[in-house]
Amino acid sequence: MIGFALRRLAWVLPNIVVLTFLLFATTSGWLGSPAAMMLGTDASPAAIAELNARFGFDDPIVVQYLRWAGGALTGEFGRSYSTQQPVAAMIAPAFPVTIELALWAILLAVVTSVGLNSLVVARGVVGAISTGFSIIGVTIPNFMLGATLITIFSVWLGWLPTTGWVPWDEGALLHLKHLILPVVTLFAFYFGSFSMVYRAEYRAVERQLFVRVAAAKGLSESAVSFRHVLPSAVLPVITYVGLTLGQLVGGAVVTETVFSIPGLGRLFVTAIGSYDYPVMLAVGSIILVGVMVTNLLADLALAAMNPQIRL
Amino acid sequence: MTARRFRLGLGVALVAIIALAGLLAPWIAPFDPNASGADVLSGATATHWMGTDDLGRDVYSRVLHGARISLLVGPLAALVTAIIGVPFGLLAGYARGRLNQFLVQVMDLFIALPNLVLALIITVMVGATLLNIVLVLGIVMWPEMARLVRGQVMSLRETPFIEAARSIGCKPSRILAFHIWPNIMRIVAAQMAIAVSAAIFTAASLGFLGLGLPPPAADWGSMVQSGFDYLSLNPLLSLAPGAAVALTVLGFYLVGRSVE
Repeated sequence: MIGFALRRLAWVLPNIVVLTFLLFATTSGWLGSPAAMMLGTDASPAAIAELNARFGFDDPIVVQYLRWAGGALTGEFGRSYSTQQPVAAMIAPAFPVTIELALWAILLAVVTSVGLNSLVVARGVVGAISTGFSIIGVTIPNFMLGATLITIFSVWLGWLPTTGWVPWDEGALLHLKHLILPVVTLFAFYFGSFSMVYRAEYRAVERQLFVRVAAAKGLSESAVSFRHVLPSAVLPVITYVGLTLGQLVGGAVVTETVFSIPGLGRLFVTAIGSYDYPVMLAVGSIILVGVMVTNLLADLALAAMNPQIRL
Repeated sequence: MTARRFRLGLGVALVAIIALAGLLAPWIAPFDPNASGADVLSGATATHWMGTDDLGRDVYSRVLHGARISLLVGPLAALVTAIIGVPFGLLAGYARGRLNQFLVQVMDLFIALPNLVLALIITVMVGATLLNIVLVLGIVMWPEMARLVRGQVMSLRETPFIEAARSIGCKPSRILAFHIWPNIMRIVAAQMAIAVSAAIFTAASLGFLGLGLPPPAADWGSMVQSGFDYLSLNPLLSLAPGAAVALTVLGFYLVGRSVE
C-alpha cells in the first residue's frame, strides 16, 4: 500500500509542477509585460525597465516560476492588478464559501441518492426517474437551471431571495435561504449519476451470500437493505464523488456566477473578465491542484479498500 | 427496445428541428437578429414573440440565428476531439508496457481536470473567436474520446481475427487502420454525437461567463447572461436561449446514447 501511494505521488507531484508551470508561463507570457500593464500604456521604456528589474519580471521564466511557486507554497500569491489587494486576502474569504456550497450539494446528492435507492418503497419509483435525472444533469446547463429556479421561486413565487450571499453570523436562516437555490442547482447535476452508480453496485452486492443470509435469518427487507447492503454498496459512490470533483468545480464556477456568490469560482471569473492575472493564476492553480490532490486521495481510498488496484 | 427507439426518435427530431431552425433562420426569422429597435425590453407580444432585449433586438430571431453558431461550434469541436482522441486512444489501446502506462496516465490526468476551468483559462488567453473556441473545446474534451477508443481497442486486440492478422505478419499500423478502426467506427460516431452535445454545453457556459463570441453574434450563452438582469421583467430573455441550449444538447446526447 505504501509503495502504491508513493508511486501515485511520484506521478502526481511532477504533474502539479508541470501544470502550474504551464499556467504560469502562459498567463505571464500571453498577457504581455506586467510592468507595462501596471504603469499604463504611455509609460517610458526606462520606467518599465526599472520596474522589471525591481520585481524581477525580466528574469528567466523558470526563475520567475520558482519565485512564484515558493511564494504560493507559503500562501503568498502577490497582489491583484485591479484591486491592489494581496491575492491571498481575496482568496481567504472566498475559499470557505465554495467549500460550503460544494459540500452541501455533494452531501445532499449522496444522502438522497443512497437513501432513496435503499428505501424499499421508493426504490422502484426512483429507478424510473433516476435515468431521466441523469440525462437532465448532463443536458441542462447550470445557468439554465439556475435561471429557471430564480424565475419560479424568486420572481414568480417570491419565496426565496434571487441572488447574493449572507454569512452565517448575520443570520442562520437567511444564510440557508440564500443557499437553497444554488445548492439545488448543483445537486441536480449529481443526483442522477450518483443514483445510477449506487444502483449498479447495489444490484451486485445484493446477489452476495451474506445478503441472502441476512434475509434468510428473518431480517426485514429494509433492515437488510440499510444495514447489510448499504455499507458495501456506498463505497463506489464515495470514490465517484472524488473522481467527478473536476466537473463539480466547473459547475460551481457557473453556479456562483449565476447566484452572485462570493466564492472562488466567481473570483476566478471576475479575474478573467478583468485580465487580473495574479488572481487568475492563483485561483486557477488552487483549483487544478485541488482537483488533482482529491483524485489522488480517491485513488488511495479505493486502493485501500480493494487490494487488486494496487498492482 | 422501444425505450431506445423512442429516445433515438426524440433525439433525431430535436436535432432536425434545431438544424432546420438554423438553416432557415434568415428566412423564417421575423427580424434582423442584430438590428436594434426603439422597442427596448418589451415583453412577449404578437410582433416580438419572445420580447426584445436591452438593445431592442428581437429575441426570437436571435434564438433562431443562435442555432447556426451552435451547430457550427458543436460538430467542429467534436471533429477536433476525434482528430486528437482517436489516434491517441488507438495507440494507448494497442501499445504495451511503458508507453501504454504513460499514455494512460496522461489520459487520466486530463480526464480529471475540470473541462470548463481549462477552457476558460485557454480561451481568455487566445481570445474568443469561433475558430479558437472550436479548438479549445476539442483540446479539453479529447480524453473522453481517447478513453473510449482505448477500451474498444483493448477488447478487440485479444480477438482471434486480430491474432490471425498478427500471425500473418501485419504491421501494427495496418492492424489498427484496417482491422480495428472499421470495427470501432460506429462507437466513435456515437461518441462524437455526445461530444457535440458536450461542446455546445461548454460553449454556452463560456458564453454565459462572458467568453462567448464577441457581440453582436447571437451566442446563446451570452444571450442568457445579458438577459439575466431582466428576469423579473421578461424571463424569456434568458430562458428562451437557455432552453435552446438544453434542447440542442439533449438532442445530440440522446442520439449518441441510443446509437451506442
